[in-house]
Amino acid sequence: MTSTETATSEAVPTQTDGEPPVDPDALRDEVKAKYREVAEQPDGDHHFHTGRKLAAHLGYPAEWTDDLPEFAIESFAGIANPFALRQLEPGERVVDVGSGAGFDSFVAAGLVGGDGYVVGVDMTAEMLTKSRRNAEELGLDNIEFCRGFAEELPVQDDWADVVISNGVINLCPDKRAVFEEISRVLRPGGVLQFGDIANGNNIPPGAMREIDLWTG
Amino acid sequence: MMLEETGYVDVEIGEPVDTFAGAPGEEKARIYDVYGYPFRAVWPG
Repeated sequence: MTSTETATSEAVPTQTDGEPPVDPDALRDEVKAKYREVAEQPDGDHHFHTGRKLAAHLGYPAEWTDDLPEFAIESFAGIANPFALRQLEPGERVVDVGSGAGFDSFVAAGLVGGDGYVVGVDMTAEMLTKSRRNAEELGLDNIEFCRGFAEELPVQDDWADVVISNGVINLCPDKRAVFEEISRVLRPGGVLQFGDIANGNNIPPGAMREIDLWTG
Repeated sequence: MMLEETGYVDVEIGEPVDTFAGAPGEEKARIYDVYGYPFRAVWPG
């Protein structure tokens, strides 16, 4: 099986027709709780790697991370490198869906430069507080962080040249709604580039209803 | 694939990365053969 065949099998947890396999509000609460922990205790007991070590493992070039202070990268909890298949261009306008403590947004802000702009969107208050503080300490003026959901982005129609995301869409029960919302904010010809998980083995329907499987 | 079903074109999927290798979540990732992937798709408008 090739990597493409594997990745096109099923996202984890997968989309189902009809009712979501888990209660969306309960899932949102669980995800917020998990990422509140990542914001406040980046070296805590998480089921995934975090921080600078994770960025290196996922293939982020050292020149993007070496100069970043620890506070700007310690809560990074991505799944893959959303810049692996296409690098951002100077001047582009970028939305980061589920921006967390801001690491991917900071990378994006550096790549698009002063003529570009980055809007990070996250639903977790502790992550927003941290990302805003980090941006201020980094002295970035081409970036802002807003509260919002992947299904309801606080961005006007056709604004973005690029939407990035990392390890977020798999946590949304209605992925179709997320992709449709992202298309609303992308200009015609705009690009969605994201990192996320995919599974080669099917997940039993019973397991799909376990919120713990979604968040850990 | 859902990206194409929702109207995106030129969908590209990159090489897998063993995201959970060595992490506490590795055992569960192995059960479902979970890897991380970079995705890219264009919105034609």
